[in-house]
Amino acid sequence: MDLSRLKKRASFPFETIATAVAFSPRLESILAETKRISVLFNTNLVLIHIGEKTTEKEETLDKLIEKIGFDKDKYRIIWMDGDPVDTILKLCKLNTVDLIILGALEKENLFKYYVGSIARKISRRAKCSVLLLTNPSVSPKKFKKIIINGVDNIKTIHTLRAMVYFARYEKTKNITVVQEVNIPTLAMTMADSNTAPEANKIKKELVQEESIKLQAMLDSLDKMDIEVTMKTLNGKPGYAISNYAKIKNADLLVFNSPDTHLGIFDRIFTHDIEYVLADLPCNLLIIHSRV
Amino acid sequence: MYKLSHHDLIILLASMSAMLIFSRIASELGRKLKFPGVMGELIVGILLGPTILGEIAPDFSHSLFPKVGNVSIALDGIVKISVIMMLFVAGLEVQLPLMLKQGKAAVYTSSLSMVMPFLTGFLVAWFFPNLFEIKDEKQHLLFSLFLGTALAISALPVIARILMDMNIFKTRIGMIIIASAMFNDLLGWLIFSFIISFMSGGASTVNVWYSIASIIGFGLFMLTLGKKLIDRALPWIQTKLSWPGGVLAILLGSCFLCAAFTESIGIHAILGAFIAGIAFGDSVHLNEKAREIIHQFVTNIFAPLFFVSIGLSVNFIENFNWLIVVIILVLAYVGKVAGAGIGAYLGGFTKKESLAIGFGMNARGAMEIILGNLALNAGLINETVFVALVIMALITSLSSAPLMRKFLELN
Repeated sequence: MDLSRLKKRASFPFETIATAVAFSPRLESILAETKRISVLFNTNLVLIHIGEKTTEKEETLDKLIEKIGFDKDKYRIIWMDGDPVDTILKLCKLNTVDLIILGALEKENLFKYYVGSIARKISRRAKCSVLLLTNPSVSPKKFKKIIINGVDNIKTIHTLRAMVYFARYEKTKNITVVQEVNIPTLAMTMADSNTAPEANKIKKELVQEESIKLQAMLDSLDKMDIEVTMKTLNGKPGYAISNYAKIKNADLLVFNSPDTHLGIFDRIFTHDIEYVLADLPCNLLIIHSRV
Repeated sequence: MYKLSHHDLIILLASMSAMLIFSRIASELGRKLKFPGVMGELIVGILLGPTILGEIAPDFSHSLFPKVGNVSIALDGIVKISVIMMLFVAGLEVQLPLMLKQGKAAVYTSSLSMVMPFLTGFLVAWFFPNLFEIKDEKQHLLFSLFLGTALAISALPVIARILMDMNIFKTRIGMIIIASAMFNDLLGWLIFSFIISFMSGGASTVNVWYSIASIIGFGLFMLTLGKKLIDRALPWIQTKLSWPGGVLAILLGSCFLCAAFTESIGIHAILGAFIAGIAFGDSVHLNEKAREIIHQFVTNIFAPLFFVSIGLSVNFIENFNWLIVVIILVLAYVGKVAGAGIGAYLGGFTKKESLAIGFGMNARGAMEIILGNLALNAGLINETVFVALVIMALITSLSSAPLMRKFLELN
């Protein structure tokens, strides 16, 4: 497989979008959402079905495509057998897909959570950006409230650039970048030989240090005409932002792609994006910046 | 039911008062000189115990801190509860996800910083048992395992404090040190619990497998299903019960329950408390204020009682053996600095950064002293080795910051 086209390929502009066709009750709404995003960014579209190709399935899909009104020159359908996750990931690489759109339940049952559903497995492993839609609609609406995870990471600046691009096309005026402050062992360290003012000073300095880093990143960002708001939250990374997105009724929560291969231990000792995947607060966009 | 007499109660209260007030004064003085709090508490114990006061005024020393009788039993109970609570708060700060997040560098650093000092200690004790006056065959293996564990453990509170003072806590180096120290503590206490349960349970194969299965089974239960239960219960506890009394009572009650359970199945009570601490500490629902209150309560009331009691029970001059002190110090530095340093280097750090990480992780502090004290009480080590371990804990803690500064070229 020649993957040279993928190497260092920027996460935007989106040129090819893919979606997984599962013939579930939500198929029409997922296709409608996919069409909206595809038209918005003027992209090619790949519809992937993993499973047997039958006349019945073909007819159902054709009818839906016609109903939703896909541009004939812009899409193609791939039918293939195999393991759903591996095959979809392989097809995304082969077709240089920039964004894959998948439907996902907000919460899986305990067994499925630990074993991993198809959408969540793809989210953890994909080499392209992934959009998980929790409540897709046949009458899609634009993402108005966008919250981005401003974690201190080399990928974040790329994610922020991608989201400025995304917001401009989506005509969203404001995006919120959230920084989560969590200082492990702080309570223990402060309990040992510190006066109250000293402890407060140390805490304040550590929080300030984080804010300065994010502010510098935001200052270096070409924001175009998008207003970027910064918000600091105290709490465990991943959980605090997920909770905030739920409280604020966000339409889209944005994360960097995971740095390491996430396995079952990451679900048992939940951290960062795993808190979000455990209980999706809203639609989730994972930007894969390929850096 | 036995009760403390009027006189016993007066002695108990007076001795606890002396322990708390003098250790606070010593800690405050130590704080001005940037010494770890535990150092002041130990010195007060040495001054009030058989080493100094016992020599100058033995009658007064014995009447204030009697070695036998009801007061001694009551104080021993308080000290044992203190250790259990200290292990619980140590567990509260162990965040396993932090290690998973740090990736390859943390895996190398944490594993080598555990394996190398463990092997160094184990092999020296195994091949040169006479150095430590080990004659018993069963004791030989257990002592070797213990020395390896004692050299492998780190002192998270001291390390975190050093990193904060140096303003490198949130850097990559800081996070690697913290994550690796957490891993060392977790594994160290698991191994130590196994050694202690083996010590009390006998040497049969059945006992070994029973101990291993119990430790693993309890740990797995608490960190999976137990954690899920805690995640469900904590929000309710923190909103429906009185604040902060409700959550504090449930936290400590659960800590004692887990400690009682592990003690009852033949594993030491400390493991139950430590793992309960990890399960509660890992919950996203544990209010930060509650965490602070419990730390303040344990660190400033129960920890001083424990550390002063160490000086009260051991004569540091009589049991000082310079050869054992030097051997343990050399082993501690070589094993930890080389292990953590090589691990960090393999994980992508420069030579100087790797050495700084090695010296950062070398601080043993309070954890080493707790471990040594439990081993002494279990009859696993003698007082000479214990004194050497205490001295090693203090010297490694004091030398960490200046040596890290030197290699990181910080002022």
